[in-house]
Amino acid sequence: MSQRIDPVTASVIQGALDNIAIEMGHKLMRMSYSSIIRESEDFGAALTDESGRQLCECTFSTPLQSGPIPGYIRNIIEVTAGRGDELREGDVIMHNDPYGGASHGPDVAFAIPVFVHGKLIGFSATTAHHLDIGAQTPGSCGIVEAVDAFAEGLQFKAIKVYDAGRRNEPVWHMLRANIRAPHLVVGDMEAQIKAAQIGAERYKLLFEEYGEDTFRAACEDLMDYSEKLLRDAIAALPDGEYSATTHLDGYLDDIDPSRHHLPICATVKIKGDQMTVDLTGTAPQVDDRPINMPFVGTVDCAVWLTVRSILLDAVEYGAIPQNAGLTRPIEIVAPKGCLANPTFPAPVIARFCPGNQLADTVMKALAQIVPEKVSAGIGNLRIVALSGLDHSNHWVHMEIMEGAYGGRYRKDGMDAVDTLYANTRNNPIEDIESHIPVRCDRYEMHDNRCVPGKWRGGVGAVREFTFLSEAGFSIEGEGHDVKPWGFDGGAEGIPASMTLHNISGAEVDLPSKVPYFKVRAGERLICEGPCGGGYGDPLQRAPEAVLNDVLDGFLTPEMALSDYGVVISDGAVDLSATDKARAAA
Amino acid sequence: MKMIGVDVGGTFTDLVLSDMTSGKFAIHKVSTTPDDPSQAVMQGIVEICEQNAVAPSEIEYVLHGTTTATNAVLEGKGAVCGMITNDGFRDIIHIGRHQRPEHYSIQQDIPWQARPLIKRRHRKTVPGRIVPPTGEELVPLDEDAVRKAARELHAEGVEAVAICFLFSFLNPAHENRAKEIVAEEMPDAFVTTSSFVSPQFREFERFTTAALTTFIGPKVDAYIAHLDSALRNLGMGAELRIMASNGGVATPKMVVEKPALTLQSGLAAGVLGGGWIGEQDGRNRLITLDIGGTSADIGIIVDGKFTETDARSTSIAGFPLMMPMLDIHTIGAGGGSIAYRDRGGAFRVGPQSAGAQPGPAAYGRGGTEPTVTDANVVLGRLAPQDFLGGEMGLDVAASKGVIGALAEQLNLPPAEAAEGVLTILNANMANAIRSRTIQKGIDPRGFALVAMGGAGPLHGAEVARMLSIPEVLVPPYPGITSAMGLLTTDLKYDLTRTQFQLSTAVDIGRINGDLTAMEAALTKQFAEDHILPEQITFTRMADMRYQGQGYELTVQMPAGEIDAAALEILWDSFHAAHAAEYGHAFIENPIEVVNLRAIARAHLPKLAPLSAAEGGSREAAFERGVETMFRIDGTLQNFETAVYRRADLPVDEVIPGPAIVTQKDSTTVVPPDATFRLLPSGSLLITLGEPK
Repeated sequence: MSQRIDPVTASVIQGALDNIAIEMGHKLMRMSYSSIIRESEDFGAALTDESGRQLCECTFSTPLQSGPIPGYIRNIIEVTAGRGDELREGDVIMHNDPYGGASHGPDVAFAIPVFVHGKLIGFSATTAHHLDIGAQTPGSCGIVEAVDAFAEGLQFKAIKVYDAGRRNEPVWHMLRANIRAPHLVVGDMEAQIKAAQIGAERYKLLFEEYGEDTFRAACEDLMDYSEKLLRDAIAALPDGEYSATTHLDGYLDDIDPSRHHLPICATVKIKGDQMTVDLTGTAPQVDDRPINMPFVGTVDCAVWLTVRSILLDAVEYGAIPQNAGLTRPIEIVAPKGCLANPTFPAPVIARFCPGNQLADTVMKALAQIVPEKVSAGIGNLRIVALSGLDHSNHWVHMEIMEGAYGGRYRKDGMDAVDTLYANTRNNPIEDIESHIPVRCDRYEMHDNRCVPGKWRGGVGAVREFTFLSEAGFSIEGEGHDVKPWGFDGGAEGIPASMTLHNISGAEVDLPSKVPYFKVRAGERLICEGPCGGGYGDPLQRAPEAVLNDVLDGFLTPEMALSDYGVVISDGAVDLSATDKARAAA
Repeated sequence: MKMIGVDVGGTFTDLVLSDMTSGKFAIHKVSTTPDDPSQAVMQGIVEICEQNAVAPSEIEYVLHGTTTATNAVLEGKGAVCGMITNDGFRDIIHIGRHQRPEHYSIQQDIPWQARPLIKRRHRKTVPGRIVPPTGEELVPLDEDAVRKAARELHAEGVEAVAICFLFSFLNPAHENRAKEIVAEEMPDAFVTTSSFVSPQFREFERFTTAALTTFIGPKVDAYIAHLDSALRNLGMGAELRIMASNGGVATPKMVVEKPALTLQSGLAAGVLGGGWIGEQDGRNRLITLDIGGTSADIGIIVDGKFTETDARSTSIAGFPLMMPMLDIHTIGAGGGSIAYRDRGGAFRVGPQSAGAQPGPAAYGRGGTEPTVTDANVVLGRLAPQDFLGGEMGLDVAASKGVIGALAEQLNLPPAEAAEGVLTILNANMANAIRSRTIQKGIDPRGFALVAMGGAGPLHGAEVARMLSIPEVLVPPYPGITSAMGLLTTDLKYDLTRTQFQLSTAVDIGRINGDLTAMEAALTKQFAEDHILPEQITFTRMADMRYQGQGYELTVQMPAGEIDAAALEILWDSFHAAHAAEYGHAFIENPIEVVNLRAIARAHLPKLAPLSAAEGGSREAAFERGVETMFRIDGTLQNFETAVYRRADLPVDEVIPGPAIVTQKDSTTVVPPDATFRLLPSGSLLITLGEPK
């Protein structure tokens, strides 16, 4: 690798760039109003160069938010030029076009072009998931019956909300009039703009401190560096093609069979230090249901994140610069018109769980060549949107129901966490109950439910909510029917479920996608989370580990015997009986 | 009035003896005894008394910085703990915020899942539920279930129990009653409640803080009791005071109740020591930078006030800790930090450290990795005859060897590689300081940097320059600033009550009632330690945010009865704090008062000011001239550099850099474009750029 500048300066500039992105994220999170940003951390912050190549991202924002920023920027540049307009100092540009780099409509970016001596040097941008963007039903998730891009809410295609420093008031008036909970949403947007402005100021100072030549050389070196790390890791893999398929639930209650159990296919092709991820074979797009995934903004991020997390695992590699260099060794192919590369105006707003399933499919393909670096199949996520009216004002709350990882080489799966490309946080129960008319009755792991393997799958969580007033809810999820894959002799995982207990006493099993649904005070929602797949032959699991799971209430002694061939009596392992049981199995 | 400060560190236990009446001051160091730290503490006390002809019985206070709690958590060696919590919520401390610490990792361990403080088998659930907004009881506590759970925990061999119920910060009745029952069933167990430890909302963080408390409680309890009786056996009547993470000291009783107070004991003392040094020379805007062998600790003091962390930013060993603490930022950067070329070809320094064993190559103990100390040796800044007064020596050839090998890998000349090691380390520290200053709206250009720890004075000036900080203070004894800091504090205890009150509808009666109740409780607490009400001063703080935000900023509240005018002042201070921290205030938005806090302080005697020895001169102090290398205007150059003995320097004479100032426990580097002088207080003041 030829270096343009000395490694000391490159290292110092990298630290400074990371510091700027962290400051942007820190301020955005602390100034923002809605829990989806401040508690769940569903936001991103990054700097790019003038062509949109990413230079750094905020380390504690969620990968699915910072990752797409370069795509937003490239489209902003293109759209602005296409209009014959130009970028000026003092511009703040709002953008959320999922066919123009955005991850989906609710993830609105505010991008600020940064100028030094009148010359564009790059962009400072923040993204965040907003509570409402004016779609057909309250909240910005669970819009699972949007029939096209127009049903998903407002579309902002490179709109200057500040034009050369002057606030474009009509845009804000229109925005406020067309979204629910405008006070919260606009407050969050203001926080995003402030954070992006701070990033722009710091970026400019850093550029001026080192001068154009040194700064650019350092950025090129840093991108080359990240690229080389990934290329070296790919080169260590055997050349060849490795395919895997998993399925989406899709719309389990739909009478049209083509809308459930939709295949997602990934073929990882390794040739030298280059990787191609070919998604050919993935189901065709669903023209009038929003589970299609934007190719730029969702599919690319899912692939990059998965490859990086497996081949450059942070536990082994430490923190490495997150920049455009990491994307160069990977080519992504998806036929136009499939779920992973839809054609406008196919709706995409509910692409979150399909994208995470795609990430899991890429992991399943890689499992064939790096079995010690993957987990068995993950239990996917569900998002629940809750909403209601309080004196003509909407309250809206979104909660991501955690999944669980599959077992890992020498380790059990992670229990009850956000998975793969999502890494948000839950809302404290003490925050939820203090702010919305909902009671949480239960939030804990499953008892006596976990998936056998030499290293068992992660255990999912159960949550129960009681509505204290009339309200609405909607669900956007996956994994109510499709099971996480087991690996190398481990068992398949356990799907999730949701049940509504209504006040008449009826219990209704819900599919993984439920459009806006009205509930009455006293009705209860029970959300059972998935358990990840097992890894390796359960008969090889250490008897002590099986005993611990019994003592901790994840297994009954009967399950220990039937799943693992381990005999537990009086709170201890009976080794000779275990040997016999295992020999007979 | 005689006092001893004793600070236990990883390698050494440092002691300071101060006679407040005569102004006499003495220091001493003994090796830390990790298996029982009280041995070194007692040995040090006996020796420092002997050396200074003081009878142990004359000592009135022993102020102590301890790592017992911290080490128990870091090493995962705590008590067998149990929890009693609400039905349906057995796994709050296992699920956490359902977020993975690392975004990009399949193989990571989640600390609270891989190393649970309380295993699931020891987490029992019982019926009972408190609900917001007022803390009303929705489901009564099932006392029989609590009793049954306690019996089970006892049978399972549990030594400490955390009682953790939802919304206990609004109404602790269920937790308090459960605690009584558990105490009846398990009289020998350590029992605490989440509302006692940290009465603030966010259940994962609060329950984890309670779990940490039980994890360390029995060990801290035993240690303090053991130490106290050892002091008595020596015939000492001295009061024992323990340094707390909040920047005050606590009585043994307070520490036994809230052992988590001591989780940053030593670090807090260091920042206090740095603050005291600055104050002696009239500086109250300070950045303390304490650099040891493996880590650098950074503290910020604004207008004489130590900055505190917010409740959500503190953690230990990956576990969140929700307690008021001084804001001390630690990064893996020190004299032992290892420099290397990573597999992608980038030049890195730390956070891995060669530690004390084998240590840097220069120590000659078999270290083969290039470290920061080796780079300082190669550049001529650290010389064998100066290091620890020449007692230990340094292997210069070994340093040159390891730095040379690194230079070859990086394709740089050896001197460039050595200087690069320092630049990268210094930049890491400067970034850490930026994250605590510039990112919070504090401009470091108006600050002085206090360079402490064995390695602080070697790096302080160059770190300051990166941040445009104009001045660096080097304390008289840079290596024992923590032990000195112990003798500069007050007895301090605080209480918190959650409010969730909006500025648009304030219940002033409740605010006044809560403040009065907290101050009365603190007065009672101090009375148990024989401290009279007139010796106590109170401070009140409010944690506030705009309605809807999730992070609070802390603002001081007026004393006395809170009325409408006082509230107006409070709202204005919040807007101002928000603007200062984030660069923007949302003036029209309602403000939410999340917590009220009352802080009580009782005065303790303080360290007497130090002074520099008179009669020195530049000539007397001059030891030799050496060649050292510095980067000036972008190029690395050789400079003829004077080496001075600190003890013989003249007072208040400005001396130009480049210079090296030696003393037994540290070496100070003054770059070519800086000057320095010995202040009457005994500290060195380095002025960067043009001398004023």
